Amino acid sequence: MNCHEAMAMLPTYSDGELDAVQSAAMEKHVLGCPECSAQRDALAALRVRIRSEAPYYPAPAALREKVRAALARTPLAAHPAPRPPRERWHWLSAGALAGSAATVFAWFLGTAVLDWRVSTDLDAEVVANHARATLAHRLTDVSSSDRHTVKPWLSSRLDYSPPVQDFTADGWPLVGGRLDYLGGQAVATLVYRYREHTIDVFVRPLSGGVVAPTPSLTARRGFNVAHATGAGMEWWGVSDVSADVLAALVARLAHGE
Amino acid sequence: MVPDRAPGRGINRVAPRYDALMGTARPVDSSRFEQVVVPQLDAAYNLARWLTRNASDAEDVVQDACERALKYMAAFRGGEPKAWFLTIVRHAGYDWIKRNRPTELIADGTDAIERAADTAMPTPEQNALRNASSTALTEAIAALPLGYREVLILRELEELPYRDIARVVDIPIGTVMSRLARARALLQRSPLLIAIRERSGGS
Repeated sequence: MNCHEAMAMLPTYSDGELDAVQSAAMEKHVLGCPECSAQRDALAALRVRIRSEAPYYPAPAALREKVRAALARTPLAAHPAPRPPRERWHWLSAGALAGSAATVFAWFLGTAVLDWRVSTDLDAEVVANHARATLAHRLTDVSSSDRHTVKPWLSSRLDYSPPVQDFTADGWPLVGGRLDYLGGQAVATLVYRYREHTIDVFVRPLSGGVVAPTPSLTARRGFNVAHATGAGMEWWGVSDVSADVLAALVARLAHGE
Repeated sequence: MVPDRAPGRGINRVAPRYDALMGTARPVDSSRFEQVVVPQLDAAYNLARWLTRNASDAEDVVQDACERALKYMAAFRGGEPKAWFLTIVRHAGYDWIKRNRPTELIADGTDAIERAADTAMPTPEQNALRNASSTALTEAIAALPLGYREVLILRELEELPYRDIARVVDIPIGTVMSRLARARALLQRSPLLIAIRERSGGS
């Protein structure tokens, strides 16, 4: 990290909004750079001053009391007024109908939310795996640009054989492979390089679901995540390269080209 | 520009708004309101107070926000209650400013920002009156243009993460970052603060 980059990222760092990888890089730079460490101290001093000297205005007791009193006089939804008996049947059948509609709707909503939860959990996991590998400098278990070396190494340690391709000609040289843990199972990780960046691609067999080889993109803690399904596999690419570069690589893999 | 330093002022004349709320016969989930909104009243008042720079106006804003929250309670689907309610408070605050100090919103362009920071130069009388540096800081923050003041308050006093600030103010995270940087830079070279620093012999 150079001084220019560090200066730009200092406020984000001091707000605690950088991820572990970037924070570590920042700390390393600030230690050896008097200008950046002075700027960091100035930011910290301003924060201390604001928090200790600028007043925090709590709600006055009278306002709090007024809100509570108003609330106490509000009609409650939990205790509706009893209705005359003749109308009751009417409401019961309408209620039953609405109830079953609500159940169906809730089920749809529930499965949608579950799907979404699972996919965001896995997104978080792949980002954590990528960050851990980068931090610990354990990028590859098997280092080779030869896919005929990487593929057998991986398939001998897994119950599936991930497709492995080298894209040196297109600017994404294969660096190697490693084993990771994702969603409770061991998975293959293919490691590519793009200029100065490392790209991790996690691969596991596709178990049902829709084949969608065009990657969907999300950003997490400064990393881009591209997810796609195709060539019998499920793919997650993670990196700090730009989203379009990452998506292009994952699309190539998912299309099995 | 000088903020009102008496937080208790004006309490006795704020009742009528709430009676209007009571007039609505619509059943509302008050226990949910109790759980979601009541714990955020301090944060709500603090934000409203920094937006309006006045104690009784802040109370009006918080009451308006409570009415709105009660109305939209059913739309709250869990998540971060503080960010949810502060979004409502900010809307109520901006509506109040639009009604009462529309010039402040118009003046919130980038050109005006430099001017606002520079015209905040204290008069000798103010300097004589002001002996606590905390007053100078309070005034310097209060003198920041609205768009910068709110992100600074949400970050430094409410300690919200960027993501929540972006939600409350309805701007992208990148804009949160640039506004924060600008607000801090304006404070660091605010004449109000520099005057204090020089008088107290540096530091």
